[in-house]
Amino acid sequence: MPESSDDSTLPVDEDDEPDEPEEVPEVPVETAKPASIDTAKQTPAEVVKALSQAVPRVRRLDVISRRNWFFLVSLVIIIPGIFFMATRGFLLGIDFAGGTEFTVTFVTNPTVQQVQAAVAAENIGGSVITTGGGGYIIRAVPLAPAKQKTVEDHLQSKLGTWVLQSVLEVGGTIAGETIEFALLAVVLAAVAILFLLAIRFRNVPGGWRAGFQFGGAALAALLHDVFLLTGIFSILGKVLNLRIGEIDSLFVTAVLTVVGFSVHDTIVVFDRIRENLRVSQRLSFEQVVNLSIMQTAARSIITSFTVVLVLAAILISGGDTLKGFALALMIGIVSGTYSSIFNAAPLLVVWRRLQPLR
Amino acid sequence: MQLVLSWPVRLIVVGILLFSLFVDGAGYVYRIANHYPLTGNVPGLPPNFGGWQLYIHRGLDLAGGTHIDYKLSNFPAGQSRADVQQRTINVIAKRVNALGVSEPEIRGAGNNDRITVDLAGVTADQAQKTIGAVSRLIYTKWVKDATVTGGPHPGYKPAFTGITGDDIQSATAAVDPNNVGWVVNVTFTSRGGNLFGDLTTANVAACQADANGNYCAERFLTIWLDLNQNDINSWSDPAYAAKVSQNYDTQCLATATPTTVCPKLLVDAVTQSAILGGQATISGLSFTQQSTNDLATGINSGSLPVDLQVLDVTQIGSTLGAQSVKLSLAAGLLGLSIVVIFMIIYYRIPGLLASLALLFYAGAVLAVFKVVPVTLTLAGITGFILSVGMAVDANVLIFERFKEEVRSGRTIPAAVDAAVRRAWPAIRDSNTSTFITCVILGFVGPSQVKGFAITLGIGVVASLISSIIVTHNLLAIVLTASGLRRPALLGVDRARIV
Repeated sequence: MPESSDDSTLPVDEDDEPDEPEEVPEVPVETAKPASIDTAKQTPAEVVKALSQAVPRVRRLDVISRRNWFFLVSLVIIIPGIFFMATRGFLLGIDFAGGTEFTVTFVTNPTVQQVQAAVAAENIGGSVITTGGGGYIIRAVPLAPAKQKTVEDHLQSKLGTWVLQSVLEVGGTIAGETIEFALLAVVLAAVAILFLLAIRFRNVPGGWRAGFQFGGAALAALLHDVFLLTGIFSILGKVLNLRIGEIDSLFVTAVLTVVGFSVHDTIVVFDRIRENLRVSQRLSFEQVVNLSIMQTAARSIITSFTVVLVLAAILISGGDTLKGFALALMIGIVSGTYSSIFNAAPLLVVWRRLQPLR
Repeated sequence: MQLVLSWPVRLIVVGILLFSLFVDGAGYVYRIANHYPLTGNVPGLPPNFGGWQLYIHRGLDLAGGTHIDYKLSNFPAGQSRADVQQRTINVIAKRVNALGVSEPEIRGAGNNDRITVDLAGVTADQAQKTIGAVSRLIYTKWVKDATVTGGPHPGYKPAFTGITGDDIQSATAAVDPNNVGWVVNVTFTSRGGNLFGDLTTANVAACQADANGNYCAERFLTIWLDLNQNDINSWSDPAYAAKVSQNYDTQCLATATPTTVCPKLLVDAVTQSAILGGQATISGLSFTQQSTNDLATGINSGSLPVDLQVLDVTQIGSTLGAQSVKLSLAAGLLGLSIVVIFMIIYYRIPGLLASLALLFYAGAVLAVFKVVPVTLTLAGITGFILSVGMAVDANVLIFERFKEEVRSGRTIPAAVDAAVRRAWPAIRDSNTSTFITCVILGFVGPSQVKGFAITLGIGVVASLISSIIVTHNLLAIVLTASGLRRPALLGVDRARIV
């Protein structure tokens, strides 16, 4: 654990002393007093000063004025991802590609070449993947039960007995449906989140249109995370040819989890914007958004950091089946935190500029 | 929203906690009460309290077993697909029962054209043989044969009548309208009805009841599964005839080789009168609801109304399942301890209380899983772990806000209340969005995703209760002790101590 009992070693505030007068980019330095906020009497600058007094941690962050840089960072990762998704597709796991998959552990220890030769001799379009410790995954085209039995018998007579860990046989119909349903679920969930946010945020100045701006920005951040994650996995699986980049139904679960986390982070920032819009009506929209990002960044980073720690542990020590899953979650959660701080909120500012509401 | 609760409400929350702990520990209560060892398999588990089976239902990927998706095709014309699907499910259930699987799950799916079968501890091979076995239903009459000495009618051997399962539309168990008893109503197709009419007319003409009310063998019509010419040829062997004339055994039939002798008798019924019109009723003095249901299913199982086509098969070995359980338990415990350590170091007393609330949360969710019951799969465990993360997130939101409120000069009790009140909208909105997502995934997602959505959904609701009510009230109670209201213990930089 990097955290000692002293708060000041937390990554986000390495050089901040709590009582030291602080700079906010828009505000000249003044002597700090414990904040008392009265928006009616103070200038906007004083309000920002007073509000951020309550948050001595990450206040040097000025996300809004550098937003184009942050958008650029996202695009640099997403665009190659989309390019490879479109041109190369994904390395599909058995439940999406269809076929028969034996997961076995040999009692005798045949070499990889022996296993490959034996599988090739069966003429079942087979491929062999090692999982370590005498474990192999053998993939083939969909086999009828009787054929499956013969193949098992043949292979065992050639290579020695094995312990059959699992057999999966997925026909094309089911494989297609799994993809279909998973896509449908993600699309429906995204639409539901858009409307939920529009409803919950319709009370901010600007009404329903503002509500849909919030919903739309959250949706954009969500899509950012989904595309970033699937793009990286397309690159891992098809460009780098790593098995960890394989897409299966566990990956779909990971994407859904990431969607959940991303929306959580985004809502926390947006909720703070909603509150600050009410409390400090004399600030510009940009100032409110930046203030809210500063106030919530600590929480977002702490939460994600905790989760990433857990996932790192799984990634290092966990079983083979969980590694891809843990990696997907890790990428997605880091992306989700990034997108809610550096994309969703700035996007809201951009949208407001294009379509002013107050 | 009233967040700090009155004592009676706190007592209710404590009650929920105690009840959850009871449900979680029900297995141990059962073991101790019956003087069984605390680990390993004991007779009579799972405990069944008032109809609730209080144990974790493990999905196939954890328990090991076989999952098969069937597609139904060749639906008989003029019958509702839902009925046909249900009848097929009953037939499969009947066949599966022979395997002695605990809790087989056979569900309809799709647009009434799918059936999903989950069988724990059975290999794909066994399962497919048993379910896919084509049992043919055969109607026979009895003809004189002096060489026959055994079987139900000595001196007679069965003879084919031309009526088979194809001629039967359906069989249903029903209450006898005349007497207080149970009967099986059999509906024939038009061809079957005609044949059956001729047959029963001939039977009735054959003989009358003797003085004791007994009928001659010619008046009997008998239903068999898979009876073949070879069986009839061997009828003069009394042992053979006796064996075949026992109540049918699906397991034996499913795995039969040409040389095995299996019990094949379904029912041996006397013809009371000529039956015209294709509607027969089988009644018996000893018929009960159970036995008539069995008979009806038996008749139907000889005539699977549709063709079954295998869409996909998954077989998980039990070692792999056990391994997955271990791995996910380890991952979960590891995650939980990292979170608890982090919370306590970073947030001090509130962190400790939040960890206590987390234990409440885990206990309550586990209890819900057992009571509902929710079948846990790998994806389901992921959902559960994720919901733990969200429970922690709600606490982090509150505590960060608490620090802010303290910094802005509030007293500690006031800061606790303000923190919860102000963090609430964010917690409510984010959890609502997750919950709605779960509902959508639960309805449209593929089956693995459903397991994930259900556990996550339950977890989100429980995490709301745990973070908002339990953490907050624990804080409010503990912070009445002024000795604990010190900045260092609360993880804040400075505080007004009042």
